[in-house]
Amino acid sequence: MSSSPIADAGTLEETGTDVLLELGSPWITIVWNDPVNLMSYVTYVFQSYFGFSRREAKRLMMLVHNEGRAVVATGTREEMERHVEAMHEYGLWATLTKADA
Amino acid sequence: MIPFRKRKDGRVVGRFQEEEVHLLVSLAEEVVELARAAAAPDASAGIDPALIRLLPDAYPGDAAASAEFRRFTAPGLADRKEANARVVIESLDQRDGDLVEVSLDEAQATAWLRSITDIRLVLAARLGILEDGDEGDIHDQESALQRVVYDWLAGVQEFLVLALQSRR
Repeated sequence: MSSSPIADAGTLEETGTDVLLELGSPWITIVWNDPVNLMSYVTYVFQSYFGFSRREAKRLMMLVHNEGRAVVATGTREEMERHVEAMHEYGLWATLTKADA
Repeated sequence: MIPFRKRKDGRVVGRFQEEEVHLLVSLAEEVVELARAAAAPDASAGIDPALIRLLPDAYPGDAAASAEFRRFTAPGLADRKEANARVVIESLDQRDGDLVEVSLDEAQATAWLRSITDIRLVLAARLGILEDGDEGDIHDQESALQRVVYDWLAGVQEFLVLALQSRR
């Protein structure tokens, strides 16, 4: 559980990631909906791995469920690769991509 | 199964019948083998859909970057998936009368959750469950049984998550 991730790209300004933006577009970790994982388990993973509050974890889980995907972290490519690997260990379907892609 | 509950000392405890134990052990062993296969240097991803579910592409639309990511992460992930499966197998050896009692600390419970997920991902791939609401391709007794097990494991996992989150 390394860096504190940013919940979604919309909160970039308030969370002091200007430095990242100067270095180029940040990367994002996306969790995709899948038919296997339970809503309770996905919420549990978001809470226990990312340290989100229960409320935020639930909000992101519902985004995944309803919209098919949610951005769960923003940062450097290396950080996002760590998150994606961690999600794969939990059995969640996660990918990373450039934020502006 | 007698569903998991959290005890006063923080451990979560559940009980399983003999047949359920055999089933869990054989499924956990199958995941170990698949994880090993997925991490093999010459693993040609794309052949077995179950492998793709266990180690999905990290870079959508970029096969080269995904292959590179898999090359770096798959060995460690396979090791940890195997370790999680071993925790499941080893925690299933405490007899309590006719049942087998499973008593887990938080780390062991996490290993259980992850391993159950791995098993369900493999079963879903075998059954062709690709989207929400898919029933799966149930065409014989074996596939029908797989579907029952898939749903049963969802229940086991749900109880385990609830037990972990309950206050004590």
